Amino acid sequence: MIDLIQTLGSGILVGLVYALLGLCIVIIFKASEAFNFAIGEFLILGSFLFYVLFFNESLPWHRALPLGVLIFLFFSYVLFFDIDLNFLIAVPLGIAAGLLIFCFLFFGLKLPSLITSPLIRFMIALPLGLLAAGIVGSMVERLTIKPLLGRSPISMTIVSLGLGFFLRGCIQLIWGSHSYSFFLDLPDITIEIGDLLYLSDPIWAGILSLLTFGLVIVFLFRTRWGLAIRATSEDQSKAMAFGINARFILMIVWAISALCIAVAGIMISNFGALQVGMSYVGLRAIPVVLIGGMDSIGGALVGGIIVGICEALAGSYIEPMGLVGFKEVAPYLLLLIVLFIRPYGLFGTVRIERV
Amino acid sequence: MKKKVYFVLAFVLAIFLLAGPATAKEIKVLSQFPMSGPVGSLPEFGWGYIDGMNWVNNEGGGVNGKKITWFLEDFRYNPTVEVANFTRYCAEHSKDELLMATGYITGGLKPLIEKVNKEEKIPWLDGSYSTEIFGEKGGPSKYPYYYSLGATYGNQIRALIKWIKENHKAKGKPRVGFVYSPTAWGRDGTPEGIAYARKLGFDVVAEIEYPYTATSATNECMTLRKKKAQYVIFHGYSGASACTAIFFKTAKKIVKNIQLMGTHYTTSRFAILTSQEAYNGYVGVATRPFSDPIPRASYPKDNAMVKLAHDFAQKYRPDEYKKGLRGGIKDIFLYIEGLTYAFMIQKTLTDADNMGELTREGVKKALDNMVWDFKGMFGGKKFSYKSHTIPMLQIFKGKVKMVKMGDKMVPTGGVLPITDWINTDEVKW
Repeated sequence: MIDLIQTLGSGILVGLVYALLGLCIVIIFKASEAFNFAIGEFLILGSFLFYVLFFNESLPWHRALPLGVLIFLFFSYVLFFDIDLNFLIAVPLGIAAGLLIFCFLFFGLKLPSLITSPLIRFMIALPLGLLAAGIVGSMVERLTIKPLLGRSPISMTIVSLGLGFFLRGCIQLIWGSHSYSFFLDLPDITIEIGDLLYLSDPIWAGILSLLTFGLVIVFLFRTRWGLAIRATSEDQSKAMAFGINARFILMIVWAISALCIAVAGIMISNFGALQVGMSYVGLRAIPVVLIGGMDSIGGALVGGIIVGICEALAGSYIEPMGLVGFKEVAPYLLLLIVLFIRPYGLFGTVRIERV
Repeated sequence: MKKKVYFVLAFVLAIFLLAGPATAKEIKVLSQFPMSGPVGSLPEFGWGYIDGMNWVNNEGGGVNGKKITWFLEDFRYNPTVEVANFTRYCAEHSKDELLMATGYITGGLKPLIEKVNKEEKIPWLDGSYSTEIFGEKGGPSKYPYYYSLGATYGNQIRALIKWIKENHKAKGKPRVGFVYSPTAWGRDGTPEGIAYARKLGFDVVAEIEYPYTATSATNECMTLRKKKAQYVIFHGYSGASACTAIFFKTAKKIVKNIQLMGTHYTTSRFAILTSQEAYNGYVGVATRPFSDPIPRASYPKDNAMVKLAHDFAQKYRPDEYKKGLRGGIKDIFLYIEGLTYAFMIQKTLTDADNMGELTREGVKKALDNMVWDFKGMFGGKKFSYKSHTIPMLQIFKGKVKMVKMGDKMVPTGGVLPITDWINTDEVKW
């Protein structure tokens, strides 16, 4: 019995991280009906942005400068074209943003020397890292997704495939392809009762994933921006008729998605190390969203937990029976069963197409 | 008339003399390394090889004064590319000139079995330690032209089992668990290791496939804890992989007293960097001397090859050596690999030339008869290529300590040898 509780608990903790990955896919799918195959690369990118801030990893000038220039161009563009600010205000603000990013990347944030407590350092670096991930997410949307608006969602999905390769190349160019040690040193909250043992890092991962999930739900269902996002998700043209800037909303959705993926990436990196090759972890989101339903936020949570538990049970009970490696296959087997019974996933909207 | 005849004769002679060097047989060698691709960016292989071959052709004196025409290809850790490159070079260069080829992975060796051993009959040096190809079931009788640059994984795991047998102090039989990657690499050598452990009377309490794509090692470590494993042999992983760090970090928390052990690629600098204190106490096998502690400045200078590699890197790649992890030589181990290939090629070709047989068959004979200390790599011990592997290995122990450097806590240390160099051909398993 203790074994079962241990397995279920471990599965749920990892499952919560998967749920967050699923959420990132779902919100993009709801807003644009596209599947973001670059999720793994966003995961690594978000983790690296956090890494730079938390561990004070600076970049040489020839890598920091192009990134600063990119930020300047992006901010100037968004402020001028999307927010309709005056050119004389938009450009200086863009320069300021670019300069700030360049300074952060070149000099580092010096957090470790300013703050010794890892928890406080984490609490400062996390929002900044997530903000950076969000900005990158919106930049990517502007450059690759926006030009495809109005076209088939399949185009966006295909673009996301290519985007994944492009982002991976950029990450390798900036940070190289070797592993980076990743120790957050958060307060130890390991739970050990007799034979029951839950390690601190997975517990933190579960808590932070759940918290992020909750915050996104609050944002979507309790704010005006959330309402605009939901309206755009329902019907883009109707939302635009009501005065909602659907293109800007799509950018916000990509930013939120990139931000959530970054949280999952940071937590997973903390289990081991950070490496560009870890992008495969993002693919865990596929069974999650297909089981839960491509357009269901609640489904992503349930799907994530189901996949986490499924992996844990397969690892603890089925693999020892001789079916070595079954843990990797189990979520996909479950996915097949679910799709046979409910083709749109457990909580997905059933679509009836009239021909 | 006579003048004309003399003139024609002189002209023909001049043509012969001039054409002679141009048509002289060249000594050509093809080498392939995984310098990019899924394993990441590893230019160090190429840097070591280029520096080594340039040295061989200049200061090293070539092959008794003759220069080697060498080709270097990045096969991007893709066996198909490795095979295609080799096929192309074989088509482009004559058998008399292309005398040797080198590769790096088992995945490339398998599809080339017929081509290398039966069609081309070209001596092939490989970085693979495959038990299937180079172990008891393969070896020189089955694959006469394949040569490995290290002891097989089966022998590496057996050496660890033997070490347990000799050092087990607790009461009862040693309880050992095997954790391996679900890849051809992870599965290679593991059955031999398990069979040997059983032969020595060990309790093999767990056989766990732990994938490269793992995001958690909790289940695996809980299984080891439940089964009360005292030793775990972790095989088929690179020390630089995230999954290695996940396993080591989790194991140190869940199975605190277990002895973590591993094979060649886990006994590495990157495992120290990523697993940090969790790597302390690790016992692992390596087929090369450990060459890259942290910080690099404190490298042990008692091994001649290690000293040579550092000297080479500092002399020919001063910027890359200095840059280290920031776009330079991240791990000297990789540089040493490239360098040793160059030295091995020179030694083999020179031996063949000395025998008066600078042909593929002559090169094969030179390898088969080779008895060499590999420029002092094995502490002065010599090896023979009878088994078509360099059968040397050593067991190391990880010693890692965290120290404050500026505003960061960083790991320092390395792996220290706890045995002498072992010649696995001489051990009765």
